[in-house]
Amino acid sequence: MSNRKIGVYICHCGGNISDYVDVEKVRRAVEEEEGVVVAKTTMFACSDAAQQEIIQDIKEKGLDAIVIASCSPRLHLFTFRAMAQRAGLNPYKYVQVNLREQDSWAHTDDPEGATVKAINLVRAGVARARASRPLEPIRVETEKRVLILGGGISGLRAALSLADMGIHVFLVEKGKEVGGWLRKFSSIYPSGKSGRALVEGLIREAKSRENITIFTQAELVEKRGVLGDFEVKIRVQGEEILLEVGSIIVATGFEEYKPSQGEFGYGHPRVVTLSAFKEMVEDGKFNGHIRTITFIYCVGSRQAQGNTYCSRYCCNAALHSSLLAYKLNPSARQFHIYRDIRTYGKNELLYEEASRLGSVFLKFSPDSPPEVEAENGRVRVRVKDLLTEGQEVEIETDLVVLVTGMVPRSNDSLNEILKLPIGMDGFYNEIHPKLRPVETVIDGVFIAGAAQGPKNSYEAVASSLAAAAKSATLLLKGYAELEPQVAAVDAERCTWCGLCLEACPYNAFEKVKHGEKEVARVIEALCKGCGACVPVCPEDAIDVKGYEDATIKAMIDELLAGGER
Amino acid sequence: MKKYDVLIVGAGIAGMETALNLGDMGYKVLLVEREPSIGGKMILLSKVFPTLDCASCISTPKMAATANHPNIHLMTSSEVKEVSRKNGNFRARVFRRAVFVDPAKCTGCQECEFACTVAVPDEFNFGLVARRAAFIPFPQAVPKKAVIERAGTSPCSFACPTYIKAHGYISLARSGKFEEAFHLIMEDAPLVGSLGRACYAPCEGECTRGLLEGPLPIRRIKRFIAEYYYSRHPEPEYGPPEKRNGKRVAVVGSGPAGLSAAYFLARNGYEVTVFEAQAEPGGMLRYALPSYRLPRDVVSRDVKNITALGVEIKTNHRVESLKKLREEGYHAVFLAVGTWKARKMGIEGENLRGVVDSIDFLKRVSEGESFDLAGKTVLVVGGGNVAIDAARVARRLGASRVVVQYRRSEKEMPAFRWEVEEAEEEGVEFQYLKNPVRFIGEDGQLREVESIRMRLGEPDESGRRRPIPVEGSEERMRVDFVVLAIGLKPSTSPFQDEIELNKNGTVKVNPTTLQTSLPYVFAGGDAVLGPSTMVEAMGQGKRAAFFIDRFLRGEDLQEAEFEYKLPPAKKEEVLSRQLTHTRLNPVKKKLLPPEERIKDFREVELPMTQEEVLYSSARCLDCGICSECHQCILACPADAIDFSQKAQEFEVEAEAVVVSQGFKLFPAERKPRYGFGRFFNVINAMQMDRLLAPTRPYNTILRPSDGKVPENIAYVLCTGSRDRTVNNPICSQICCMYSIKQAQLLMGALPLADITVYYMDIRAFGKGYEEFFQQASDMGVQFIKGRVAKIEEKEDGNLLLHYEDIENGGVKKVAEHDLVVLSVGLLPNPEITRIFKDEKLELDEFYWVKQVEEDVSPARTSLEGVFVAGTAAGPKDIPDSILTAGAASAEVAAYIESKRRGR
Repeated sequence: MSNRKIGVYICHCGGNISDYVDVEKVRRAVEEEEGVVVAKTTMFACSDAAQQEIIQDIKEKGLDAIVIASCSPRLHLFTFRAMAQRAGLNPYKYVQVNLREQDSWAHTDDPEGATVKAINLVRAGVARARASRPLEPIRVETEKRVLILGGGISGLRAALSLADMGIHVFLVEKGKEVGGWLRKFSSIYPSGKSGRALVEGLIREAKSRENITIFTQAELVEKRGVLGDFEVKIRVQGEEILLEVGSIIVATGFEEYKPSQGEFGYGHPRVVTLSAFKEMVEDGKFNGHIRTITFIYCVGSRQAQGNTYCSRYCCNAALHSSLLAYKLNPSARQFHIYRDIRTYGKNELLYEEASRLGSVFLKFSPDSPPEVEAENGRVRVRVKDLLTEGQEVEIETDLVVLVTGMVPRSNDSLNEILKLPIGMDGFYNEIHPKLRPVETVIDGVFIAGAAQGPKNSYEAVASSLAAAAKSATLLLKGYAELEPQVAAVDAERCTWCGLCLEACPYNAFEKVKHGEKEVARVIEALCKGCGACVPVCPEDAIDVKGYEDATIKAMIDELLAGGER
Repeated sequence: MKKYDVLIVGAGIAGMETALNLGDMGYKVLLVEREPSIGGKMILLSKVFPTLDCASCISTPKMAATANHPNIHLMTSSEVKEVSRKNGNFRARVFRRAVFVDPAKCTGCQECEFACTVAVPDEFNFGLVARRAAFIPFPQAVPKKAVIERAGTSPCSFACPTYIKAHGYISLARSGKFEEAFHLIMEDAPLVGSLGRACYAPCEGECTRGLLEGPLPIRRIKRFIAEYYYSRHPEPEYGPPEKRNGKRVAVVGSGPAGLSAAYFLARNGYEVTVFEAQAEPGGMLRYALPSYRLPRDVVSRDVKNITALGVEIKTNHRVESLKKLREEGYHAVFLAVGTWKARKMGIEGENLRGVVDSIDFLKRVSEGESFDLAGKTVLVVGGGNVAIDAARVARRLGASRVVVQYRRSEKEMPAFRWEVEEAEEEGVEFQYLKNPVRFIGEDGQLREVESIRMRLGEPDESGRRRPIPVEGSEERMRVDFVVLAIGLKPSTSPFQDEIELNKNGTVKVNPTTLQTSLPYVFAGGDAVLGPSTMVEAMGQGKRAAFFIDRFLRGEDLQEAEFEYKLPPAKKEEVLSRQLTHTRLNPVKKKLLPPEERIKDFREVELPMTQEEVLYSSARCLDCGICSECHQCILACPADAIDFSQKAQEFEVEAEAVVVSQGFKLFPAERKPRYGFGRFFNVINAMQMDRLLAPTRPYNTILRPSDGKVPENIAYVLCTGSRDRTVNNPICSQICCMYSIKQAQLLMGALPLADITVYYMDIRAFGKGYEEFFQQASDMGVQFIKGRVAKIEEKEDGNLLLHYEDIENGGVKKVAEHDLVVLSVGLLPNPEITRIFKDEKLELDEFYWVKQVEEDVSPARTSLEGVFVAGTAAGPKDIPDSILTAGAASAEVAAYIESKRRGR
């Protein structure tokens, strides 16, 4: 007999559950279960009132585990864990059974079946509650220091923001100087301000801060440790430096797409990339001799194979450059051969202005891209213009600007060290674009700016500040709490075969001495509790806390035991 | 005053994200949201691009985390009214609307919602369906607490002197809940039948529908309710209350004021005795109102509502001394003796036989005395309702000629117009600007009257023009009988030594508490007001009962608040919020034919049929939104409904402010050529998102006109964006993508449907967006480059889209679709600037909050310490909103820390 005192609460969820599951029948079916001392139904377990009642039960009846059969734990696991904590019950003695997503919503056509399933699910939950043990979160002291990789505008801006918050920043730049792409440009959209002046302002500011250390010609060579407490090694101009940091922000930026030789005439001196054109315009190399400019959009972007993605910034940047060129030579003829003009948001004004100044827009189909013929001093562009019934238009032009997109920076050695996930597009991948847009699956490592995907400078800044904010939430508290539902090795059984370490995606095992023998030990701060190690262990020496084999077996037994008893 | 580190205005996804970041960093955050739930627009969406995960699944954990975060204090249904600076910090006034539900008690069970009798367009489903006035905005609302929407007290209910919730019983009546309607009226007045017959219905005069086709027949609906109930319950369903408090109250007078007071006191556990000088209870109801207007059995049944509570009515018992009542053991007295004394004209011949006063005449007729007026000429002097009653009674007693003389003109006459008309139909003659100067008799018997013509002079103190006799215009007329109906006086003379009276004989009272100069005596009804109406008298009785109760419990009368009501709902607002208006003519009052009426005293007005009542009550415009039908109070298992809840204002302090008030959707009516609002099957994309959402109103996609499942759906992109004609030249940044998302979802939901997207440029620029667009294209969504010029509606509800097919020669084409979705753009919420006192939050040229340093500090605004997050600064998709929220959190933290270090 169990000496547990378990409370079971079956939620109507308004009707979401009780419309299909006979919750009263479920309650009766589990009230006599071993260890159950309270079994109730409730309209909304998550409501304040219901929580108060459960807290009262926990306190008055001395419950030592509770089961709430309601919705998905994704929704309310933390709600009820917090409730348990308020009642003085260890939150890990709380078990959530999902009767909504996994039962009532899935079986709206079979209320009887749904009720039987609910009974089984709740009994399994009770079995889990019987086996539940108190767990304490793994607490990691956090260093109030951040390593930022990349000294472009994203890295600089994040550095200043963190420094303002009182966090020390090590800014590591691979190149000779910080400032990134913006150093090149004297006018950026939409403000028209000088990019150079902007980053120089930021650099001056950063250099004046005591709590920002800038390393140039530097790179990360090693990373150890866990979130809040990383040990990183950087190589600065040949010399290796060891740093302790709480988090890492990767802001390594992008590279411009480099067309292959002959791609839209690339290689000919009168065929240039967007950044080259922008430099021409800004350096005054653009002069009266250039009377006709033809822009070809989506070069290196939206490809059928290869770079399938849209590079986001290029329409805006090309039109911004086009307007700059009009300033230098208002009578220049400009042709824009495009697929869709993506001047989103307020950037639409760039498009409007270019049209107003006389730019001619020709739309091409990806099936018949424009052809550039460059021989001798003459450059000709031929295109079937969809806007004029697909007529073939031939433009004799002085300059072709290939509106080149962004590609991910090749960071092979860094990728090897950080093990950051990389998306289909080759950029770093966030955990979730909405829930956790600057976080990665490596806890404590954040991504910012165009390293995550094409962005213009102000968007890169927003994302770098977001990464700074997330770093700060981690570090300002002084400690981090990690899920304690991690793997544990029974040292008595373990014979150190190393299979667990092989199976572990997080390198969370280390070999330690245990008496005479060598055994595996879990580095708890690294372990995610994924369980990959459990089945490979030939000695059955590993369990994930809260999901012990015995617990899961007991749950399966209940699930298989059948509805009526 | 509560101190916070950060005040955040608006709890959409950007506001929540900012609050969570700052809360996690350890800052104390006050998050203020105007709506009853946090979550903004995002929680209402179906799925989100480009990952197609469910918007709820992403939003709800954030919402739950926000609500439960130890560092975040959440205020919903609240608005920041004013932000000013003091000592380097911000001071803000935060106003929390009354929601009439105690959030601590509410469990979110929705019973109130099911019981509510008012339906209004559901803004959370963008008007696709209705919701109740008591509601939880949507299933995943946080906090999941009901709120009751009230736009004020409905004008009808506000107008009622005894505060009967007219709107409440109308909304119950239209739901067929006639017994519930009766009980609701009984909350405020026990004489339901009498009111239904003969109330002058001030409510109807205030009915907003009166500005359209004519007011609701509120009184006649009440009559139906009373008859419905009384026919099923000849006796009251209740007895004396179980809880008695042992205190005794004497009520002097059993008219509407006395009975009403007795009823409310008895319900409260008092032992009440009513003293009535006449033989039967009812006062003026029984003795002055002619039975053709108010049948006597109705009065008798009404009186049972009071006696059933154990109230004893001692008839034929005239009270002459208040002190004696006190000596007899009554702890308090309510004096409601009415106005039974007639005014005299003070002219010659007033004492002749054949000259009577109105109250005497009507009372004697009521008591069954038979005046033989057959074939006689009767003169009634006066212009009030009593005069008309007397004239019509005279006709029923057989008078061949009845003349009413009134000294002013028809316009000044106090009697109701319809009463005059009914009297005229019955053959009563009216002589205006005429007044008797003497009555001439023979042997003490009236024979003739001499009257003089009047003209109107300057207005007197009553505001009416003063009648002035025209010298030498005297005329004589032969009359057999004269009824003087020139006014009534209070019957208060026996008490003049015990309590203070006014000069006109009315009792002097505190107008709020109705307490007289003798503390244990309260007075009301006509004895205080002078001649008034039954409903005013009942209101006084109810008021007196309230204050007598407070008095006997030893409470401070000045502190007590009687009948707290919200200010009346504004009629212009009521009319302007009607989306469509169907002409619904009033049901005319049905009367017996005049020749039938004068034969006897049978009831003149015919009852409404149930059908007419349902039709009439359905005309109600629900001015106050909540009707106060009180069904929620009865339904709520947690006793959480609280109609006395009041708005609250808080003052708070914060070091930084974040504005994240989001955007509003472009109102598609502003593009009239697309027919939104006129053509049923032209909807906006937010409505389509609701149709696709997991919490969707129907379980499938239906087009509005006929509920058909659409087969050929069109999307019109750039509705209200990139469009100088509507003053919004910028791109809204999300419409291409949400349309593509919906197209993909529709392909899944309706595999046979054709979907065509009419676009200018497809702006799929974010991470994974282009691929998402290509995927839609591969799934078979048709993309046509061309702006739609106009939309026409066919008879079958299908729509004809005129467009230029740009990629195919630019020819003008017409396409037929059975459902059109307008991909509406985003507009700013510039109202936010108003909250800043003494300084200006700058906006950009399109009225979005201006980012003064977008390049390096995207959250910075023109005001130091004020930051912006999300779409408040311009159109954005969800990932970008979340990133800017992250940026705002970083900038706020940096600002606060720099500022604190600087100190």
